[in-house]
Amino acid sequence: MYGWIWRHLPGNAWVKALISLVLVLAVVYVLFQYVFPWAEPLLPFNDVTVDNQ
Amino acid sequence: MAATADETDETTDESEPDPAPRRRRPGRIATAVSVFGELLITVGVLLGLFVVYSLWWTNVIADRKAGRQADRVRDHWAQEQDSAPGALDTKDGIGFLHVPAMDNGEVLVEKGTGTDVLNDGVAGYYTEPVKATLPMTGKDGNFAVAAHRDGHGAKFHNIDQLEEGDPIVFETRDDWYVYKVYSVLPETSKYNVEVLSSVPEESGKKKPGHYITLTTCTPVYTSRYRYVVWGELVRVEKVDSKRTPPKELR
Repeated sequence: MYGWIWRHLPGNAWVKALISLVLVLAVVYVLFQYVFPWAEPLLPFNDVTVDNQ
Repeated sequence: MAATADETDETTDESEPDPAPRRRRPGRIATAVSVFGELLITVGVLLGLFVVYSLWWTNVIADRKAGRQADRVRDHWAQEQDSAPGALDTKDGIGFLHVPAMDNGEVLVEKGTGTDVLNDGVAGYYTEPVKATLPMTGKDGNFAVAAHRDGHGAKFHNIDQLEEGDPIVFETRDDWYVYKVYSVLPETSKYNVEVLSSVPEESGKKKPGHYITLTTCTPVYTSRYRYVVWGELVRVEKVDSKRTPPKELR
């Protein structure tokens, strides 16, 4: 999977490494900005109130 | 992994140009195993990132938002100084909670305990299922608030540091309300709404009075139970022109 991506990136090893880094940062950004905020309320870690639900 | 494979390809190219290097195609099972392994690694990294997100990044975001809202409240108070007191402004927040034992500075208190409120790194006073009695009304009742234990500012992270006799000070525009902790319930069900009632009997009180209740989740990093701390009003001090804090905070 990752090998496949590496082989399909253009340029030499340095360019590939740079593009990979940018891709990783983009993925982390999307996760922190959109995916985790969406997933968090579905997980039982952060309910602090007492209620009758 | 792929990088080293590439490099070895290049070196073999240079050292022995003939015959042309042919990559041996891995078998189908080997491919399946390696893809499966990479998926497992990916899941592990994702979970790690989620921990970083919940325990660090949400704090960064929440502290930033809470700071902005707190500044707005302070500005508002400064502007209102000249006008007549009494008008209750609850839009941005009603005041600040100072708990020296928690060692986390001031915590802005806003209306409501929904995640949209609490995720901004503030404490919220209950409107559901039991309506909290605000101290500025002067009525008997329970000023019940909640805040996050971890993540989103983690304003009540150190709630377990609170012991009987410790002060809890609530600062409004005009007054300092000084409470003293008199009872702690380290673990209770999340359905136990009795702890919020205007006379919280579980704390040992039978008569109406001016109480404060702090609730958050416990044990740390989970939401299995609730941690409850009760305090009772000791005295009210007028805010002076320099906003000198009461002696408990000095």
